[in-house]
Amino acid sequence: MRRYVARRVAALAATLFFVSALVFVAIRVLPGDPAALIMGTEGSREAADRLRESMGLNRPLPVQYVEWLGRALRGDLGHSIQYDVPVGELILTRLPVTLPLALLAATFMVAAAVPLGLYAATHHRRAGDYLAMIVSQLGISIPQFWSGLLLILLFSVTLGWVRSGGFDGWSAGVGPALRSLLLPAVALGLFQAAVLVRATRSAVLDVLREDYVRTARAKGMSERLVVAKHTFRNALIPIVTVAGLQLGQLVAGAIVLESVFALPGLGRLALGAISARDLPVVQGVTLFVASAIVVINFVVDLAYGFLDPRIRYE
Amino acid sequence: MTRRVLLIALCAVAVLAGAAGAQAPSRLVVQAPTEPPGLDLTATPASATAGVVFNNIQEGLVKLDRHGKLAPSLAERWHTSDNRNYTFFLRRGVRFHTGRELKAADVKYVFDRAMNPETKHPYLRDYDAIGDIIVKDDYTITFALKALNANFLHNVARQGSVIYPREAVDALKSHPIGTGPFRFEEWVRGDRIVLVRNPEYHVKGLPKLDRVTFRFIADPNAVLAALKAGDVDASMFGLGPEHVQDVQKDARFQVIVGDTTNDVILAMNNSRKPYTDARVRQALTHGINKQDVLRGAMFGMGKILGSNVDPLNPYYVDMSRAVPFDPAAAKKLLAEAGYPNGFDTVLKVAPQYYYTVRSGEVIADNLKKVGVNVKIEQIEWGQWIARVFREADFDLTIIGHAEAWDIKNYANPKYYFRYDSAKFQDLFRKSEVTLDDKARRELFAQMQKLMAENAPVVWLFMHPNVVVAKKGLQGFWKDLPAPAYHVSEIGWAPPR
Repeated sequence: MRRYVARRVAALAATLFFVSALVFVAIRVLPGDPAALIMGTEGSREAADRLRESMGLNRPLPVQYVEWLGRALRGDLGHSIQYDVPVGELILTRLPVTLPLALLAATFMVAAAVPLGLYAATHHRRAGDYLAMIVSQLGISIPQFWSGLLLILLFSVTLGWVRSGGFDGWSAGVGPALRSLLLPAVALGLFQAAVLVRATRSAVLDVLREDYVRTARAKGMSERLVVAKHTFRNALIPIVTVAGLQLGQLVAGAIVLESVFALPGLGRLALGAISARDLPVVQGVTLFVASAIVVINFVVDLAYGFLDPRIRYE
Repeated sequence: MTRRVLLIALCAVAVLAGAAGAQAPSRLVVQAPTEPPGLDLTATPASATAGVVFNNIQEGLVKLDRHGKLAPSLAERWHTSDNRNYTFFLRRGVRFHTGRELKAADVKYVFDRAMNPETKHPYLRDYDAIGDIIVKDDYTITFALKALNANFLHNVARQGSVIYPREAVDALKSHPIGTGPFRFEEWVRGDRIVLVRNPEYHVKGLPKLDRVTFRFIADPNAVLAALKAGDVDASMFGLGPEHVQDVQKDARFQVIVGDTTNDVILAMNNSRKPYTDARVRQALTHGINKQDVLRGAMFGMGKILGSNVDPLNPYYVDMSRAVPFDPAAAKKLLAEAGYPNGFDTVLKVAPQYYYTVRSGEVIADNLKKVGVNVKIEQIEWGQWIARVFREADFDLTIIGHAEAWDIKNYANPKYYFRYDSAKFQDLFRKSEVTLDDKARRELFAQMQKLMAENAPVVWLFMHPNVVVAKKGLQGFWKDLPAPAYHVSEIGWAPPR
């Protein structure tokens, strides 16, 4: 197990190195630099040139990258060009929005999708199954920004139950904060739930066709016990795999929904930073998200061992 | 007796409660579409920064009033006898938000710093004319110009000329300090900026609000939802014109539509064929139905332009009919220029500004009818700045130029549309050193006429100022002669 963990840590380091180099080059080869963007159409060309020089952007790319890497290894992710605050601090201020949003969305996703998928599989080719598939097809087909707007229209504009967007922070109270995050979490979880319903249904259907399920039924075991004891646990590995991948996708979805709901989260931070060519922020957020995804995958791997005792990491 | 006392006491309580109840709310949440890229007006020309900071937190010696006229601000008056030496008399008792009194030495420091290339001030050239700055006493300061400069006072009124205390210079980017009606309180990056009343503001009765929150919401649909759900009180530049008709029908809101200095143009690359030929540029102007563009892109809001001088400029001449929509004339001019069958061209637009793509679609349709096939290429804003604006790598593009008095760009042959007319440059130089109002007006009229003839770009329309606010809010500026959101005069009407 120790060797396995060491391997994963090494893989994480390699991933972060490649991701950081890739992002660095990608942002720098994009036309437009932060100095030109700050000066816009109204500042003079000379002013933009002077600013670029002072930002150190005229030096060769490898030199800039090595400098950044050296500082990053010492834990200094640099300063945001746009916001003039340390990148680490900026990420930490955005986490209390994005992390609970992703957790709420994931909870909604699992709580809605797994029972529905299970129900559809156990009622295969019956009305409930078809209904569940139609609902999930709708969920996959409706773009997240659109479902977000529909939810705002119903719950904020018409009913006035929750606010339409914005986030005053957890210091304003847990209740108001949760009310700010509820709609975006549902909109975010809806699409992923639709995917997970199908994955759950398919995994459970596969197991239901196994010999040991037939044996359990032949022994006279109740259908509920057959599904709960012999089917569901064995179907969990593909479900957990898909759910793990979807957790990563929740972050991508957050970029869109944080814009629709005007939430000051990591997704919107990344989007704004790319537009402003705020490289230190793009690097910082990318590294953070990449690390989070690697860690999620690691946890999913560990879950396999727990779900199936035959799997061991040596 | 006891009963009478009780009755009087009850009446007093009722009156007091009534008075308290009648007190208008003193907070405002305003939506703004773009978060500023830093709050230092001496480091960025961004209108998003000016919108929040200019005239709300920091002020200049002089300012433009609601009608675009120069008015006193931190200087209570100014004087010049020869148009070379301008003496400003500062208001006494004006205090920075730090509590320290504003003195003439602060003004000198600010302008010396702006003129120093090391500062990287975005409007460095605006101060080229200043030769010397002399502090006469704590409240009197003289600017000695090297040469006549008709724009000097306007440059002093610009957003880059705000006065701040020297001890706050390092914090300007994230915590601006000035003398304005509001003090900066906090900037929650990605979400909002909060301003609070400056109780020591030098104009009596202002500001009318205790607290103003600028909330940054870019998506127009989200803005509409926030307004309708009551989460924001007003929106400035946030709603698309298609939403304005919707809120106009809603009794809870008022819609204010006014003028701005934002001229939306179809720029042609004057250094690239076929746009090197004035006949081709005129043909495109004739071939575009600006009414169609205004209807298609702006639902009819805004004003059609015929030159780069906007209706808020005192020297504005209505040139909107100078080159009328005339497809037959367009075809004739194209044939004369050697393009009887038209040509193919590429229009690069940045969808960050919604009107660019919408206008582009109408224009492409218009020009197809005169034989010019326009391919629309949408590019991201950063790429637009790099390729179109800096490298002039484009045929056609659409953009709004928000800066006031930006006719100067047409006298700069290196500006991205590369208009190079010796005659225009000569007229502009003369206008820069002509102080007599009548003579200057005449020069501006000549420049506008020449621009319409040369057609370096197609001036499409003036982007309107569109404010949507809850009923009961009052004091908004209808027209915006400078890119600022002036919130000090906004207040809630007392409930009836």
